[in-house]
Amino acid sequence: MQLFIQSLLSGILIGGLYGIIAVGMTLNWGIMRVINLAHFSLTFLAAYITYQFSTVTGADPFLSLFITLPLFFVIGLVMQWFFETFQIEGFVSLLVTFGLFAIFESIMREIWTADLRTLPLDIVPYRVESFWIGPYALRKPQVGVFVAAIIVSAATWVFLNRTYIGKALRAISQDRVVAGAFGVNHRQLALLLGGMMGVYAAIAGAFIAVLFVLRPDGTVDFIGVIFAVVMLGGLGNTVGAFGAGVIIGVAQSLTSATIGPGFSPLVTFSLLILVLLFKPEGLFGRSATS
Amino acid sequence: MQVNNMKVKVFSLILVLLLLLSVMPAMAQEGDPIVVGGTLSLTGFLSPTATLHHVAGQAFVANLNENGGLLGRPVEWIVLDDESSADNAAALYERLITEDEVDLLMGPYGTGNITAAMNVAARYGMVFPHHTASLTYVYDYEYHFPAWHIGLNTHITTNNILYDALESTGTPPGTIAIVTNQFPGAMNLAFGNDVLEPGGAAHMAEERGWEVVLEVEFPSGTTDYGPIAAQVRDADPDFLWVGSLGADGVNLIEAMEALDYHPRGQFYLWPTPGPLLDLGEVAEGAFSVTLFEEHEPFLSNIGAIDMVELYHAAAEEAGLPPSSQIVDVQVAASWSAWQTLVAGVEGAGSLDQDEIGQWLLENGVDTVIGHLAFDPEQNNFSEDLTRIKQIQDGKWVVVWPAEFAAPDAVPIYSADAE
Amino acid sequence: MKWRALLGFIIVGLVLAYFPELRDMLGYPRYVLTFMYFAFFWTSLATSWNILTGYSGYFSFGHGAFYGVGVYTTAAIVTKTELPFLLTLPLAGVLASLLGLTVGFVVFRLPQLRGELFALLTLAVEFVVAAILFNLVDGGYGLSIGRVPYPDFLGDFSEMMFRLGLLIALLTVFAAYLVHHSRLGRGLFAIHDDEAVAEGLGVPTFRYKMMALGLSTFFAGLAGGLHAVQLSYVDIGGVFKLTVPLFVILMSLLGGRRHWLGPLIGAVIIHTFNDAFSDTRFQLLNDVATGGLLIAIILFMPEGIYERLRQRLIPAATLALLVVVIQALAIGGRITVQFAVMLLFVIALLMIPQRFYDTVIGRFVPSFESVKAKIRSGAEE
Repeated sequence: MQLFIQSLLSGILIGGLYGIIAVGMTLNWGIMRVINLAHFSLTFLAAYITYQFSTVTGADPFLSLFITLPLFFVIGLVMQWFFETFQIEGFVSLLVTFGLFAIFESIMREIWTADLRTLPLDIVPYRVESFWIGPYALRKPQVGVFVAAIIVSAATWVFLNRTYIGKALRAISQDRVVAGAFGVNHRQLALLLGGMMGVYAAIAGAFIAVLFVLRPDGTVDFIGVIFAVVMLGGLGNTVGAFGAGVIIGVAQSLTSATIGPGFSPLVTFSLLILVLLFKPEGLFGRSATS
Repeated sequence: MQVNNMKVKVFSLILVLLLLLSVMPAMAQEGDPIVVGGTLSLTGFLSPTATLHHVAGQAFVANLNENGGLLGRPVEWIVLDDESSADNAAALYERLITEDEVDLLMGPYGTGNITAAMNVAARYGMVFPHHTASLTYVYDYEYHFPAWHIGLNTHITTNNILYDALESTGTPPGTIAIVTNQFPGAMNLAFGNDVLEPGGAAHMAEERGWEVVLEVEFPSGTTDYGPIAAQVRDADPDFLWVGSLGADGVNLIEAMEALDYHPRGQFYLWPTPGPLLDLGEVAEGAFSVTLFEEHEPFLSNIGAIDMVELYHAAAEEAGLPPSSQIVDVQVAASWSAWQTLVAGVEGAGSLDQDEIGQWLLENGVDTVIGHLAFDPEQNNFSEDLTRIKQIQDGKWVVVWPAEFAAPDAVPIYSADAE
Repeated sequence: MKWRALLGFIIVGLVLAYFPELRDMLGYPRYVLTFMYFAFFWTSLATSWNILTGYSGYFSFGHGAFYGVGVYTTAAIVTKTELPFLLTLPLAGVLASLLGLTVGFVVFRLPQLRGELFALLTLAVEFVVAAILFNLVDGGYGLSIGRVPYPDFLGDFSEMMFRLGLLIALLTVFAAYLVHHSRLGRGLFAIHDDEAVAEGLGVPTFRYKMMALGLSTFFAGLAGGLHAVQLSYVDIGGVFKLTVPLFVILMSLLGGRRHWLGPLIGAVIIHTFNDAFSDTRFQLLNDVATGGLLIAIILFMPEGIYERLRQRLIPAATLALLVVVIQALAIGGRITVQFAVMLLFVIALLMIPQRFYDTVIGRFVPSFESVKAKIRSGAEE
């Protein structure tokens, strides 16, 4: 029983990580209609920059956010400008962003080599520290990413649903032409959203640098799971992405602890198939079109 | 309109790139060297370790050329990227043999790639030295020469060497947990295979009367080690045997540390050595296997001093992290495969594949990891050269067998520790 | 019409099948056969994916599942029984197809499962299939096939792979052609445009989708079964990597999804560049060039290469011939790289923006309209 609860907790927390990566993806896909594989690259690029910052200065990795947040806002914005200028969307965007994905990966490999990189424990001692609730351990950086995921997804939801700009963005996702007729400046809003995506990548990247051993193609461990989270949560639904992340995290974690880690994709994705068959609108619906 | 201007600009850029690309093949042509061909996984999931083999191989070839080359001719090494995929590796070896018409082959990195490429080498009767193959029982090709010299029955012998080291402390474990990556070579060492006699870490432990209290298999690409760590904590074994690759070990240790659990003794099969050392105090006392470490008696092996010196410089030059600039089992295995190839060619005095192959089978070869004898009866393996190393005072040192241990180093382990 | 096409395919097949015999005469290295086998393999995979997705619009992310079932069917039978591997190939196709039809039988009854949800479902199927095979068949050890016995008339190993790969690719492309030009194809295109309308017009949508999925997965399994022999050692991580489903999508998008030849063009191009850019001395340049090319091609030809090629066929063929001759006579080098360079030049020609292209070509070959206009303005002066 103790094993069960411990694994449940660890699954919930790791779900936060899935959620925070998925939030950026789901906005890009749901609102701008760009299936952005390069979002994974940006996340890992941010992780590498965080690593570099910390190992060179010896400072806490999260201080690097002062650099990465503005930097990635600009990168995200430029990327979105590129998509806008060349009118890239839909499944064509999968091709273009795969090209970007390959280029980013080779740049990371060129700078940091393919060898494994990890932040030394004396810089991030809290990586292996936990908060304790009775006999149950909550790993500090995982709690951090969980809280960050809640904040990011909730704030984005509020932004999209309660502010004028957010409503305009949602209007674009539903009908660009009509939105334009009502005076919504599509281009500026798209660039803003691109910048936001970059910021999310920077935040997720900082946590990945703390939690994982980095390698340039580490992105592939996440692509399948994040795609599932994005679609399960409902395209464009940031709160849904968070919820779906937690569900998949818990499913993986419990399978891992009870049947065996080798079965965790089997159970997780069978579950997903069942959900699709019996509740095909996604667990949380599409916020962008609702 | 704006889009169109942009497109014209991009277009001219592409034209320039095109011209560059069409000139590239011409640039690649050079004199009359002996050409060695091979692939390495420079991209994809095997790339972290394959990169070390790339750096080591380049350093070896550069040094070889500075000292007069091979048979008086310079040596050129063509390395292609197999992208960590066995079908690419097989196809590219076919290309190297029949299109580039290379004179000699050097094996790729990784069990799957080596196994696939060896079948191609066999089709063309090419001598095939390789550095890191672990499915010993599969390799029946007569001219394959394994530098990862762990013996045909590694699933029995390697575990015995480790367990002997534990028993030498006088306080051997009574219970053991087996956690392993579901990677072919690691599975073989953990649970044996259905071709040879029974073996594997679990079986060999039971033969010594130790109780196996936990068996967990996890797939590559696992991102959450929390549940595995929780199971180990609950089982609380005297000794934890982990069939780990790359960063698995680091991830598991950290997950256990977060649960405030410290195994009384732990073994990691094939970790990338750097990151474990970077853990500091937390990984102190961890065991692993090796074929070479940077101390005596290994430094007395042929070419060892040169290798250490050359590799340090090359690794720093290549921008590898400091903890990867030391020579460990991977680099030494790579070096030893190259020494095998060179010794074969010089011994045979020609580039004839049969002559090289026969010479190596008859004579064996002395390398940085010791003498390699190639016994056709044992799939060209022979004695298991595995040594056990342990992190002591933040450094890897060989502790077992005693005659290979670093000065004054002995295995430190007690099943009765707190 | 169909009989002529069948004849065409048979002739192409016979000519290509004779290609290995000409090796001594043409003096090309044996690797060319392996190179072409891989082109056939990717053609089969991409074309089979396109039979469902390109025609009907049901976007599958899980094509690797059916390919993987094919690989593991052949690998498991060959390693565990004495059955000749040629017999396992149809079985590989049938098993993959059965899996596909089972999925389709459930999914196609639920009208909501379109678009992204269908994509997610197929992706999930791939993960589930991989996990089942991993735990039941593979066990983490992988399957080592080694060298399989096969009948002599197929030639040596690379010749055999070439011939079988060719056969499967031809069958797949021919099936795609037939579907394209049949009532089934028209029905699928109607489903692509608007399924509800198609249903209203009397298109038996469920049956058509099942037929497309059954065919699509059958050929994926067939190609996978043969590829098991090429792999010679199969493991789950290698077979079920994301590059397979991703690459078939990229190839079809690149070549053009609405035509049966599109995926073939995309497969040949991506495979050729992947091969030409594998030299590690130019690692960074290679990766940037590959990624950059993908982006550039889709920027300039968002509808896929096939459409542009059709419009500019004669200049493209002329340029290709020119480049081939110049290289063969003056530059030399590896034959597959020569081929890649030729493709690059053709692609460059196709990428020229339409307006720019018109003015350039127009200068040398003035169109009838412009000549007429000139005469008229001259007369007015």
